[in-house]
Amino acid sequence: MTASTEVKPVATETGAFRRWLYRMSQKYVHWFFIAPALIAVLVVAIYPIVYSTGLSFFRVTFDSRERPFVLFENFAWVLNDTDYRVAFGNTLLYVFVTVSGAFILGFGVALLLRRITVGRNWLRLVLLLPLTIAPIVVGLTWNWMLDPLFGLINWILTGLGLPPQTWLASTSTARIAVMLVDIWQWYPLIFLIMDAGLSGLPRAPYESARLEGASEWTIFRRITLPLLRPVILVALLLRTVDAFRTFDLVRVMTDGGPAYTTETLSLYLYRTAFNFNKLSRAGAGSMIMLLVIGVISAIMFRYLYRDVERH
Amino acid sequence: MAISLRQRLSAYVIMGILLLFILIPLVAGALTAFKPQIIWVSSPPVWVFQPTLENFEFVFIQRQNLLHLRNSLIIASGSVAIALILGVPAAYALARFRFRGSKGLLQWLISLRMIPPIVVALPFYVLFQTFDLRGTHFGLILAYLTFLIPLVIWMMRGYFVEIPSAMEESAMVEGYSRLQALRKVVLPVVTPGIIATALLNFIFAWNEYFLALILGGRDTSTLPVAAATYVGRARVEWGNLFAVNLIIMLPVIILTIILRRQLVKGLALGLVE
Amino acid sequence: MKVVLQDLVKQYPSSSSIAVNHVNLTIENGELAVFLGPSGCGKTTTMRIIAGLETPDSGHVFIGERDVTDLASKDRRVAMVFQNFSMYPSMTVYENIAFPLQVLKLSKDEIDRQVKEAAGLVGVGHLLQRSSRQVSGGEAQRVALARSMVRRPEVFLMDEPLSSLDAKLRIQMRTEIKRLHQETGTTIVFVTHDQEEAMSLGDKIVVMDHGNVQQVGTPQEVFFNPRNVFVANFVGTPTMNMFDGTVKPNGGGLCVDLAGIELKLPERFPGASTGMPVKWGVRPESVKLVDDGQPGDVPGTIELIEALGSRQQVFVRAADKLFSAMIDALHPVRVGENVHLRFDHRGTHLFNAQTGLSLAEPH
Ligand SMILES: Nc1ncnc2c1ncn2[C@@H]1O[C@H](COP(=O)(O)OP(=O)(O)O)[C@@H](O)[C@H]1O
Ligand SMILES: [Mg+2]
Repeated sequence: MTASTEVKPVATETGAFRRWLYRMSQKYVHWFFIAPALIAVLVVAIYPIVYSTGLSFFRVTFDSRERPFVLFENFAWVLNDTDYRVAFGNTLLYVFVTVSGAFILGFGVALLLRRITVGRNWLRLVLLLPLTIAPIVVGLTWNWMLDPLFGLINWILTGLGLPPQTWLASTSTARIAVMLVDIWQWYPLIFLIMDAGLSGLPRAPYESARLEGASEWTIFRRITLPLLRPVILVALLLRTVDAFRTFDLVRVMTDGGPAYTTETLSLYLYRTAFNFNKLSRAGAGSMIMLLVIGVISAIMFRYLYRDVERH
Repeated sequence: MAISLRQRLSAYVIMGILLLFILIPLVAGALTAFKPQIIWVSSPPVWVFQPTLENFEFVFIQRQNLLHLRNSLIIASGSVAIALILGVPAAYALARFRFRGSKGLLQWLISLRMIPPIVVALPFYVLFQTFDLRGTHFGLILAYLTFLIPLVIWMMRGYFVEIPSAMEESAMVEGYSRLQALRKVVLPVVTPGIIATALLNFIFAWNEYFLALILGGRDTSTLPVAAATYVGRARVEWGNLFAVNLIIMLPVIILTIILRRQLVKGLALGLVE
Repeated sequence: MKVVLQDLVKQYPSSSSIAVNHVNLTIENGELAVFLGPSGCGKTTTMRIIAGLETPDSGHVFIGERDVTDLASKDRRVAMVFQNFSMYPSMTVYENIAFPLQVLKLSKDEIDRQVKEAAGLVGVGHLLQRSSRQVSGGEAQRVALARSMVRRPEVFLMDEPLSSLDAKLRIQMRTEIKRLHQETGTTIVFVTHDQEEAMSLGDKIVVMDHGNVQQVGTPQEVFFNPRNVFVANFVGTPTMNMFDGTVKPNGGGLCVDLAGIELKLPERFPGASTGMPVKWGVRPESVKLVDDGQPGDVPGTIELIEALGSRQQVFVRAADKLFSAMIDALHPVRVGENVHLRFDHRGTHLFNAQTGLSLAEPH
């Protein structure tokens, strides 16, 4: 019963170099897998960010020979620009309304689907459709639907005895029309996530709550919502980040009009760079936008990870 | 769960209204693609008519949208293929190995998804001028990778986490190298996940408009960019536009129907994980 | 093949404690060695180091005369059965068993012959065309066993291969592993946290805790002569009765004072000396209940009785301590009854309270 060994290390079959190589390959094997993606990301993501950051400290146009260093001039200009501020305000409103709208609709539909027993899989597929359609196609299709002269929506309205509307041309309705279409397009993302989240819920807490005679609303508030918190946060985070950079839909529906009521940050920055040839101002504007998105998502991430760790 | 008949009935009714809201614009649009020019627009709407293919003929032959279809196919499948080749191994490593900074690296990679496209568009625009990449398929593929690689890593990691590491380790003890083990035993298991990931990434690249508009040259512009050209200042060629729209929508919808199982499961895993 | 572990140390980068702490061990050729210990004690890590799935921070692994420390898993000629994985889901039973042979570039016929032989040996010959979803947990575990056999490895490594099976199947599979060992004569390293499984399987038992080897010995040795308090407590169900005490002189010899009970110490504990703080222990199987006490017996009252089939466990309060005794189920007892405890001296143990080491003469 010896705990120690009487065998002496014999001459090894492999050479010292090969042994070293083996050790290294074991220790750093993960980099072998990660490096290609990491290098690619450095080129296609980090380089552009660094470039844009740099851009915003110089005065640059597409045809400029000289590119003087101007420190915060571009930032100051952008922040003082009324149009930028209007676009920023519009974007915040847009994000708030469309994310809440998509969340309520998406979550609602996911809950509703639980009550339906016939053809659930096909229903799920149809409910997902808007998500798979190009935003530009969605925008153009709704332009046609909302047309004041021949659009289906006005035809239905007049059929119901209501006055027809110039949806996208009037300052009072353009905003809400575009936001509704955005919700139409993106609620499936929330629906999908919440549907998966609901399917993954444990049974036991519900059964015991029902035995104790809790009402459906109490069960929803006390059991479903807390259990789904991490999932809800993921859904909101994803949608918020995407909503901030909306371009396609607004571009084809109103292109920012009428009277700037639907101008979003992406549209503004696009115009500044490519129509007005102010590259570095667009750079500064996009840095500020990136910063705001970063802060908002960092806060949401924090909540999320606190949750995930607790569960 | 005990649901009363009334509750159940109202669920079906609400769902029915919702389906109308989703399907009417899509069906009405699709129908217009087959309408002759005189009834492209009409009030009240015309539902019954003699369908014609003249719109498709026009967009494919007069306007050469076949070329744009080809561009879209090359760019979307090219960028998805490259994103998978680069992203899947990284997702595997981030799911399997815990090393210093692995958690931070994962969060950082995923957060790249948040970059506003305009941040990428400006430098790429300048870069493409310098390297003469404007008007090449490769340029746009490169730009799409910015958004596709993080998405691939995010989704695929969810799949790899689900697979016990003992699976490839068992093969490694049985005489295979790690790469062989991955190819022979792990790959067949994650294939549904790869399909779902590929589809979602394809949808993104196929539908993308903003970067394609800025970075695509005359000969490489994609279908969404081509669609927008039917919208004039004064007049919209609705029938032609909906013909192109249909061509944009159809492949994605067909793929989604074929791959719906993998897609729903893949999204659920990738997103919630 | 003989397996030698020489001063193995492993700490996971993300963990503050040491998973394997200076482990030295020799497993003889043809032996069935069982690693036994509570969960998290480093059994799996040690086994993964032997398999080459984990690289030790220092130390060496020998298989036969080969130093395999820096050799890839695939070249070590070992086979491993995993705790939570049995079949490659993308393959049929046949393909699973053939998988390790495919890399060897054998002819189709040869592969076919060996697959069928191995499948027959573990009793899955009739399932060869089934997919992984069409077999039960026990059958899948047999497939894993067959897959590990076909390469004729020099060492079998089995990491809790039976822990996911239900009790009956577990015992059945245990017998089959024993049979496999007898038929092939190959060295087997078997990991378990179930000490009954360890006792029934092992030629040699390696008791581990906190990354340290606590004792190496035959099942009898670790049961009857535990080297320290940890082994004494961990091995054997129900657990040993153990109380703190002090050694005192008694007549010509020594006795142990357990605060209220004084027990004469047999000659077997040469390590004990007067005044030493000790832990005294006795297995429940070595406690007898007698009605009329003689000198040396301890009077007490029955507090609780648990029936266990052919045996019953009786808890007796004596001098404010609770003793458990394992006795025949037919022995009539009832709660509240006054009895005397009589200890079989061969079943008593004495440990140094400070070091935890046994004071019995070494074997
Ligand atoms: N991959 C790992 N990373 C970090 N710590 C680990 C890892 N695997 C095991 N450990 C830790 O090492 C110790 C030993 O684990 P293990 O060998 O799995 O124990 P056992 O198999 O005896 O239950 C435990 O404390 C465990 O938490
Ligand atoms: Mg273990």
